[in-house]
Amino acid sequence: MPILDTRDVTKQFGGLVAVNQVSMTVNKNEIVGIIGPNGAGKTSFINALTGIYKPTGGQVLFQGKDITGFPAYKIAKHGIARTFQNLRVFSNISVLENVLIGAHCRIDNPFHHIFLRPLRSKKIEQQAYAKVIALLKNVGLEEKKESLAKNLSYGEQRTLEICRALASDPELLILDEPCAGMNSAEMDTLADFVKKLRDDGQTIVVIEHNMCFMMAVSDRIIVMTEGAKFREGTPAEIRNDLEVQKVYLGEQEVE
Amino acid sequence: MMMDSKKRKWLLLGGLIACLLLVPMFVTDIYILSILNVMVVYSILCLGLNLILGFTGLLSLGHAAFYGIGAYTTAILMTRYDFGFVAAFCASAVLALVAGIVIAIPTRKVRGDYFCLITLAFGEIFRLVATSWIEFTRGAMGIVRIPMPKIFGIAIVTEAHFYYLGLGILIVTYLTIKAITDTRYGRAFIAIREDELAADTMGINTPIYKIMAFSIGCLFAGMAGSFLAVYQTVVTPSNFRLEESCLMIIMVIVGGMGRNLLAPLAGVIVMTVATEVFRSTAEYRMLIIGLIMILVLLLRPQGIFGSSSFKS
Repeated sequence: MPILDTRDVTKQFGGLVAVNQVSMTVNKNEIVGIIGPNGAGKTSFINALTGIYKPTGGQVLFQGKDITGFPAYKIAKHGIARTFQNLRVFSNISVLENVLIGAHCRIDNPFHHIFLRPLRSKKIEQQAYAKVIALLKNVGLEEKKESLAKNLSYGEQRTLEICRALASDPELLILDEPCAGMNSAEMDTLADFVKKLRDDGQTIVVIEHNMCFMMAVSDRIIVMTEGAKFREGTPAEIRNDLEVQKVYLGEQEVE
Repeated sequence: MMMDSKKRKWLLLGGLIACLLLVPMFVTDIYILSILNVMVVYSILCLGLNLILGFTGLLSLGHAAFYGIGAYTTAILMTRYDFGFVAAFCASAVLALVAGIVIAIPTRKVRGDYFCLITLAFGEIFRLVATSWIEFTRGAMGIVRIPMPKIFGIAIVTEAHFYYLGLGILIVTYLTIKAITDTRYGRAFIAIREDELAADTMGINTPIYKIMAFSIGCLFAGMAGSFLAVYQTVVTPSNFRLEESCLMIIMVIVGGMGRNLLAPLAGVIVMTVATEVFRSTAEYRMLIIGLIMILVLLLRPQGIFGSSSFKS
């Protein structure tokens, strides 16, 4: 059974159809890439999946459960974590607190326990702290845990955002243009990191413009254009597809 | 190493509380004690307001109304219904909490500037009701002759007694807010301040957390009001004007918003002392207070002891 199964997901803004009947599946432990020219509706599609928009039609099944139209916080609890196209780290607080906030919905500390069972509450917070430190170590940000997020370099902030998303132990991680603004060396590091996550058992959906990156990381690629799904296939198939090249040629050079 | 700095923090805090407890042994001047009591009241208010403004980023212009709800509840229950202070105090806190929830529910999804306007309106409505509903609140004459409080048989009479009572409430307020903000709840409030949409996608049910932060802040305002009622023995609508709400905001901003819970107290001290020192200059004193605020904001935008500033 696929982890994520969308059926004819549609999002309309008035007369504009931003996402038009997109159906796709994501299987456990695979990296699915979504590409498409600007305005193809990739981010709108992801927003409809993660509860930022309510889909106007279709169904989203996650681990067999219908989560269509759930609010964002509930979808996060069900196990979908995401990053944003334009960085949304919490800039005025420390790296550590950023990631701790990411773990929010996995810290099982009911409000009344703060007063009625303070020792248990403290223990659970400490466990979360230890988990977050391990995660920061894993991505190489442990030494900067006390720095304010806004004082990190751009690449580090990108890493921090992924790390924050991972802190919620997601079943599915969605990366929205993770390479935006990166140079090719940083991109290679990121590609290795994403593949390593997959090898560790993480299921990932990536939206990205950069073809080199997508060809390198994706197990399967979905091409979107004008709000609808246009093609689906392995990176090699997509690369050699003349129609896909045509879609892209209208907008930009084929690399 | 972390444990060490934590231990040192608790030692410092313990020392600070011990010093505060000893103050009435050395300070016998009634005037100075009365200023200290005023500071204690504002400290309780500002600790609560910091949770709303500093943590969650909600600019509430109606904090004085919740302070007033607490004060009128205690005043009315003690003068008309023979309530003891402890019972009236609890009723004040609960009623302010409930009022906080009632205001926070409809405003949970409105944007910052509208939230500001709604709380401003609520503050004014409260003041107007307190002024006009003569049968219940005695209007501008206020409720007078509030009896001296007794706590488990101990009568609170002198300025020093009130100082201890107020300090007790302040310490409870501090420890409660500290306990809350040291957990995922405090971090969720900060996440809402920093980026509400991102907070949502972290699994934070933002409307609920906003209601929570706002109403807990109001709960402590209710406690401060209850203390004010028995301390002043009189409550009038003019205690709860918009200027009071603004003064509290200024104190929190001047002292410093956010994680450092004691920072707003620096603002309380600066503003209270300034008010007293320039009391003789009557209306001009607002000019001087305004000047202090502008200077602090220019030189230290994050406040005297603050860690985080308004987003630029």
